[in-house]
Amino acid sequence: MKIDHAKPLEYSTEENRLKILGFWVFLGAEIVLFSTLFAVYFTLVNRTGNGPAGSHIFELTPVMVETIVLLSSSFTIGLGIHAMRIGAKKAMMTFFGITLVLGAVFLGVEITEFVTYVHEGATIQTSAFLSSLFTLLGTHGAHVTFGLLWGSAILFQVKKRGLTPETANKSFIFSLYWHFLDVVWIFIFSFVYLKGMM
Amino acid sequence: MKQLFPVPHVIGFVSSLLLSLIALVVVKFDLTFASGMTILGVTALVQAGLQLFLFMHVNENEDKRSLMTNIAYALFVGLVTIFGTLFAMLWGYNMI
Repeated sequence: MKIDHAKPLEYSTEENRLKILGFWVFLGAEIVLFSTLFAVYFTLVNRTGNGPAGSHIFELTPVMVETIVLLSSSFTIGLGIHAMRIGAKKAMMTFFGITLVLGAVFLGVEITEFVTYVHEGATIQTSAFLSSLFTLLGTHGAHVTFGLLWGSAILFQVKKRGLTPETANKSFIFSLYWHFLDVVWIFIFSFVYLKGMM
Repeated sequence: MKQLFPVPHVIGFVSSLLLSLIALVVVKFDLTFASGMTILGVTALVQAGLQLFLFMHVNENEDKRSLMTNIAYALFVGLVTIFGTLFAMLWGYNMI
């Protein structure tokens, strides 16, 4: 395996470079996946049946908390990758740890929100609007949940093996995934919540 | 300590928070649907751009061309899906 020391560790071998490109192809598919869910949501947003409309159940405070928490976690994982590039393993692990904690907080707020909706009689079966809403939000939330497991595994591996071309590559790819989830959330925040409360 | 917080990242983070606050005007003020959607569209796109270029390091990749082609293609398919669906399901014939 040829290691190019002029490049950051995560790009240092050809295999690593191909893995990063491959992950971008996956993210392209994810863009399309979320587009289909947004398309369904926009189509059904006014089909509320006997259930509540978005403007009745959406609350600004938890949504703002979720947004700020997720934006912060995107920032801390960016700092984690920066620390990784200057070889600061401990700082990198701290930033990744903070990222995962913030991700868990996000998930906690989102689950609380879902529980509140259901208590208000807004379940996934109530109306076409709510089915599409829960599918869109739930798919994003499931991605975050998976990210928490994936990120923890990577953190564990970095602790055990240190910063090698393999672990750096995995960490960088995980950061791409995490930033992508943040981008998806920005669109949910803007075109589901804020548009719904307009 | 200072080298762990590079200035572009901090600026990017602060601007992303600011953009979220700017987007809030659509809720706080009584705007028309069109102007509200314009504000949301612009703030969301700028935010997405920040993430892509600042944090996801799109520009530094060696395979930048294939990467950009891939993203552009995904966005194209995504937008056609969304607006094609809206056109077929809502705008095309259902004028409620």
